[in-house]
Amino acid sequence: MAVQERLERLPYGLGRFTPAWYALAGVLLALVALGAYAYLRQLIEGLIVTGLRDLGTMRGAAWGLYITFDIYFVGVSFAGITMAALIRLLNLEALKPVSRMAELLTIIALLLAGLVILPDLGQPLRGIVNLFVYARPQSPFFGTFTLVIAGYLFASLVYFYLDGRRDAALCAQVPSRLQGFHRLWAAGYRDTPAERQRHARTSFWLAIAIVPLLVTAHSTLGFVFGLQVGRPGWFSALQAPGFVVMAGVSGIGLLLVVAAILRRVLRLQEELTPAVFAWLGRLLLLLIVIYLYFTAVELLTSLYAGHHHEVALTRALLVGEYSALYWVSMGSLVLALLLLVGQVALRAYSIPLLVLSGLLVNVAAIGKRYLIVVPSQTHGALLPYGVGWYAPTWVEYSIILGLFALGTFLYALFVKVFPIVEVPAVQGGKR
Amino acid sequence: MARYGMVIDLDRCTGCRACVEACKVENNTPRGSFWMHVFRFEEGEFPNTRVWFMPRPCMHCDNPPCAKVCPVGARYKRDDGLVATDWKRCIGCRYCEVACPYGVNCFNWKSPEKNYYLDWQDPELTARTNGAIPPYKNPDLEGRYGPEQRHVAGGGHLKGVMEKCTFCVHRVEKGLSPACVANCPLFALHFGDLDDPDSNVSRLLREKRSFRLLEELDTQPRVHYVGSGHAPGAEARQIEHVKGRI
Amino acid sequence: MKTTRRTFLKGAAGGLLASRLLGGKLETLTAAPAPAAEAAGEAWVPTTCWIGKQDCGMLARRVNGRLVKLEGNPIHPRNLGTLCPKGMAQIMAVYDPNRLKTPLIRTNEKGVPGQWRQASWDEALSLVAKTLREVRARDPRRLVWQKGRSKASAFYDTAFVKATGATKLHHGAFCSDAGYRACEYTIGLHGVLHPDFRHTRYLLAWGWNLTGAGGNKLCWITWPQQMTAARERGMKIAVIDPRLRGAGPFADRWLPIRPATDLALALALCAEVVRRGAIDRDYLRKHTNAPFLVQPDGYFLRRDGKEQVWDTGSGAPQPYDAPQGQPALEGTFTYEGQILKPAFQVLKEHLAQYSPEWAASICGVPSDHIYWLAQDLIEHAMLGSTVVVDGIPLPYRPVAIMAYHVAQQELGFQLTRALLLLMMLLGSIEAVGGQRIDFTWKLHENFKKLDEIEIKDPPYNIYLKDSKFFPINSNNSALVAKVMQDPAKYGVDTLPEMAIVHMANPVLSFGSKPDIIEGYKKFKFVVVIDAWLSETADLFADVVLPAATLEKYEGPLSATDQYTDAVALRLPPMAPLYQARGEIDIYLDLCEKAELLYGKGGYLDHLNQALKLKGPYALPLDQKPAVRDIFDRWAKSQGLKEGIAYFEKHGVWVKGSIPAKKYYGYAQEPPFGGIRHRLYGESLLRYRDTMRAKGAAEIYWRDYTPLPTWRQPTMEGSPAQYDLYLISYKLIEFKQSRSSFIPLLAELAPEQRLDINPRTARARGIADGDEVWVESHNAVTGETRRVKVRARYTEAIRPDTVGMPHHYGMWVHPWAKGQGPAASELFFTGEGYVANTADQSFHVKVRVYRA
Repeated sequence: MAVQERLERLPYGLGRFTPAWYALAGVLLALVALGAYAYLRQLIEGLIVTGLRDLGTMRGAAWGLYITFDIYFVGVSFAGITMAALIRLLNLEALKPVSRMAELLTIIALLLAGLVILPDLGQPLRGIVNLFVYARPQSPFFGTFTLVIAGYLFASLVYFYLDGRRDAALCAQVPSRLQGFHRLWAAGYRDTPAERQRHARTSFWLAIAIVPLLVTAHSTLGFVFGLQVGRPGWFSALQAPGFVVMAGVSGIGLLLVVAAILRRVLRLQEELTPAVFAWLGRLLLLLIVIYLYFTAVELLTSLYAGHHHEVALTRALLVGEYSALYWVSMGSLVLALLLLVGQVALRAYSIPLLVLSGLLVNVAAIGKRYLIVVPSQTHGALLPYGVGWYAPTWVEYSIILGLFALGTFLYALFVKVFPIVEVPAVQGGKR
Repeated sequence: MARYGMVIDLDRCTGCRACVEACKVENNTPRGSFWMHVFRFEEGEFPNTRVWFMPRPCMHCDNPPCAKVCPVGARYKRDDGLVATDWKRCIGCRYCEVACPYGVNCFNWKSPEKNYYLDWQDPELTARTNGAIPPYKNPDLEGRYGPEQRHVAGGGHLKGVMEKCTFCVHRVEKGLSPACVANCPLFALHFGDLDDPDSNVSRLLREKRSFRLLEELDTQPRVHYVGSGHAPGAEARQIEHVKGRI
Repeated sequence: MKTTRRTFLKGAAGGLLASRLLGGKLETLTAAPAPAAEAAGEAWVPTTCWIGKQDCGMLARRVNGRLVKLEGNPIHPRNLGTLCPKGMAQIMAVYDPNRLKTPLIRTNEKGVPGQWRQASWDEALSLVAKTLREVRARDPRRLVWQKGRSKASAFYDTAFVKATGATKLHHGAFCSDAGYRACEYTIGLHGVLHPDFRHTRYLLAWGWNLTGAGGNKLCWITWPQQMTAARERGMKIAVIDPRLRGAGPFADRWLPIRPATDLALALALCAEVVRRGAIDRDYLRKHTNAPFLVQPDGYFLRRDGKEQVWDTGSGAPQPYDAPQGQPALEGTFTYEGQILKPAFQVLKEHLAQYSPEWAASICGVPSDHIYWLAQDLIEHAMLGSTVVVDGIPLPYRPVAIMAYHVAQQELGFQLTRALLLLMMLLGSIEAVGGQRIDFTWKLHENFKKLDEIEIKDPPYNIYLKDSKFFPINSNNSALVAKVMQDPAKYGVDTLPEMAIVHMANPVLSFGSKPDIIEGYKKFKFVVVIDAWLSETADLFADVVLPAATLEKYEGPLSATDQYTDAVALRLPPMAPLYQARGEIDIYLDLCEKAELLYGKGGYLDHLNQALKLKGPYALPLDQKPAVRDIFDRWAKSQGLKEGIAYFEKHGVWVKGSIPAKKYYGYAQEPPFGGIRHRLYGESLLRYRDTMRAKGAAEIYWRDYTPLPTWRQPTMEGSPAQYDLYLISYKLIEFKQSRSSFIPLLAELAPEQRLDINPRTARARGIADGDEVWVESHNAVTGETRRVKVRARYTEAIRPDTVGMPHHYGMWVHPWAKGQGPAASELFFTGEGYVANTADQSFHVKVRVYRA
């Protein structure tokens, strides 16, 4: 039983749920329940239970944590699909082992991004219906919903499905409780050379199609802000490319973290070699450098030539109310950069340090997303309403925490029902 | 087709905020909603101080950033110049609000019925008012307006939808001027057809120096300010804030 | 879709009048074809605003018995179809579920927040009537009746006071009554100072809070409307105020004067005008006592009881009313061994000490500005010019002063006299474009009465009428509270036991809250008639009677804007809410129960007298009328055939323009009805001498001088650490201290604040929005009081002055909680803090430090 053997050689058992896993799942589901409860409160009371308030005379922020995490989640989704496409297009065999975990990251992140929109809507049910019924392509939101949620998620799912079909077929050969699921996924796939070739060709073209989609999707999200002429800090042509790059930073960073966790928990030391991490680290370094360059350009423009509103906003970021978050974010980014530069220069890569970089850039990503969304509202009024303020409430924190827990749970569940790294080929077998 | 606009004479405004109250009563807006706001400004240092006032309705822009971004067409520009909000279509994403540079949008953060200042559930009172909340509820606000027959009048309709100044579409369609204009004790507010050269508003624009707010953004507001004043710059400090936060 | 052009229907109102003001055409706009017939059950009902002082006309939109909106009545001259924020927001107050719903009887001790049991009207009124009868039987002086917002013709309360013999307490001594007394005494008109806006070219807005409130006689809309129209015609405004905020953008010149030094500035302006000889000699000679000869003792030279003037022709005194002769205004004459000077000469010599430089040092403004002001006044006074109005040639002196609440200071009576002197010197009194005081020329009885006061020996009544302390007396209920604490000191032997407090909230409204509270503790039985449970009721009422807000009959209410003659009524647009009732109903029933209603001398009889109902219109004295019937009879007695139905249809009876003949004192035959304005206040000197003779202390008589004389205000005696002046003013959002709980208004002006100049604040380490203590000091008693309030930076106030709005401090209504303290807690009453006419001062020295 070659297949049985090959599956046995996986360092964990599909369908084998350990007490530790149950404990983790319990904690995560409890957090999901908390989020659900918080959302229920919000549905009953209205968005008054959040820290969000009107701009203008109410001197608040109409968008806050939900939108912050929406763009964060969409950003994180960058990782998987990019990695998959790069691996396919550049034929990066060494990175193959992270491919599926990256794709799963994408799908779950996009799912969360879609979900976190709901609590942001005052009328969520209407949202689901009207966004389709009365869709307006002129609204930057249209791009977010069509390109990101529909196109991007759809493409990712297709890619993920095709990519997993071979392993599903392998798994389906083994009798287990999950056999039906695997059989469904495999959908008659038998891993014949013809099939393999067809798959390879499809995923190649899909990968080619995905790259521009990737850029447009993340740009679209940037346009949600960058096209708003009336908000200092938002109205900038750099917003779109900045979003693409920051998406890459956070996505690759999170992928580093996820890969390291799985490597340890699932004992994937053989498959996930330090070289994989080093490659990701170098990519991350490149993206951080580009991002910092954008940041510098933007800062200089607004401080040197900015309207007084722009200057006032920048001041709030650099030395004012938001300076703590700003410098924590920028500090994290720079520290990550230094860690990476050091490793690249010394050509000595340490997985813990790379993971630390990944964590740092995600702290920075969340911070920067918040700093894009909120200060332009509280400190960006063009009429003299005065300075506003926003502080998220327990409801918002709970919902975000619940979504994180949901994502983590789905990820943990997936690795228990499907091989997260590709099932190795038969020894000596042809590839 | 008339193209409505408002002209505000800053030489006449005493900053009394009667327009604000007229709007609130006419449109039944809940607590914290100021469709019409009157800025009170102070500039300069003692004794070279200047105090002045500036009413701020919705600008009903000809190039409205809010309508551009609305993902469902709930916020839209009418042929007669009004920028309307269909409270039966709005999904509450608040994109219009963050896109508007004038800060005129008011979201229903909670159920309006629970946000009308006082607890009106008094049996003796409701017996007299048929349970209307607020007791002075305007019956004209529920209907459909315009050739497109959409729900665009008044406020305080529904939790989780956006509302803003409608130029009192329910009054304008009856031939009345908006509540703020009709009530201004100093006749500082004027409303009419900007395309009609004989209208009061057109005449004022010809006779007096005028400006519009944030003209540099090219939102093309239909609200014009006339008089010896100027748009508020960096030196304008708002004094006497309203209690906007709920 | 077919559209037609048509006029704005209802905007009719505002639009039409605005167009008229702007000289434009009717506003038009395209609209759908005329709407279908008004929805069933919809009506616009005329009534009158209840919240403010000037009784603006309103139309209530009523849909199926429910009020939906209150709008201005377009034909009402005072508001021309508009309402101020208070008027607009009052619909929420009308429906307020926190209104008093039933009569209440107290169940706990007084002086602490009340506990109540609901009572029927019958029980509550019986209890009040029983006590009233008992108290009256012993001594009617033991009954006090107090009203706050006495609105227009207060016929029904006058009748009640007369029928019961109660002592009436006013609110005027907290408002502007020092100015009223000065004008009544000096010119003979009832009012303070306002311009002839249609013609005035230069206005001194002397403490006129024109964007906030007030002005002479009217509470808001009319004056700003006339002011903006006048400015569009080219009128200039010089603002004299420690605080610019009140004048807003309408100040062409701002003199940020030091508080309570207005008299010094007024005297310096008088001096400068006299020095430059820019005076209206003709007016002074003919219509004032300026030529009257003054003896060295300060009294007029009289022969055969008649004042004398110096005839320059014959070189001898002659009676002032001698048909020929040229009376001298200036010069010193010796006659029969006596040195005689015309009163004007005395004034001229008196003013010599008051130069602009002198005033500059006192008032804290540059002397140049005082010269400029004098120059502006002289230039605009157009001395010698005349103009024909309604076919009558009249002097044209288009300079005037708007001064009202500024009279409420320690030197307020003499300040108003000095302002009048300035306008008299320029000949602007009652001239076209000149100084107005009342709406029409109507000589007030006080012109004579205040000149002929007989100062008595104790015992005095509760407000010290005709006393050696305050011979001219505005009846200050804070002072009454002071007297009640120590009656022996003031020679008072009978204290009142019962108070009926009608729509007044003395605990918060008036100055010196702690004194008022101490005073009210002495009342044995207090009845409060109000629409809400006032703080006064909360602490002191034994019985509370719920009154209606605007859903009742009241009137007749003057509706004049000073150019149009009009009268209005307040009509109920719906039945009273809850168990509230209109006050007239309450008084009718109370009088019936107290056996004071019927027959000669009863309430009905007094109603007839107060409303001048005679013959067929008189109320029968043996049956209780319906309130609507009273007004119907009144309306018919005025010549309106339809009776009250006219008002039910139109709301206001606009009788037409006031002709010059009725308007200008100069247009009378003879001018001013033949009286002579009192440039020189001889009787003030007489009072001073009598007061001294009767042993009154200097602090009482020192301001009884025949000519206004500057002295340092008493508060300047406070220690140096109390280095700031506290002033108080009103916000446009609230009426007096009674409306800060109306949620729509409270939202606009949510909490009490201390206006402070940033320079002053920073020197004390106070940031914008910080909580601070404001501590006031009484220079006479050494007492201190303090409140905690939030500081708000403003560059529109003098650095040595801080300001607090005169609102807030309430605690009963849920929306009043947490708004911060009342300014009245910091002001003192009694010696040093009232004028010589017993009028309350709203100035005190304070220190401000971080809380």
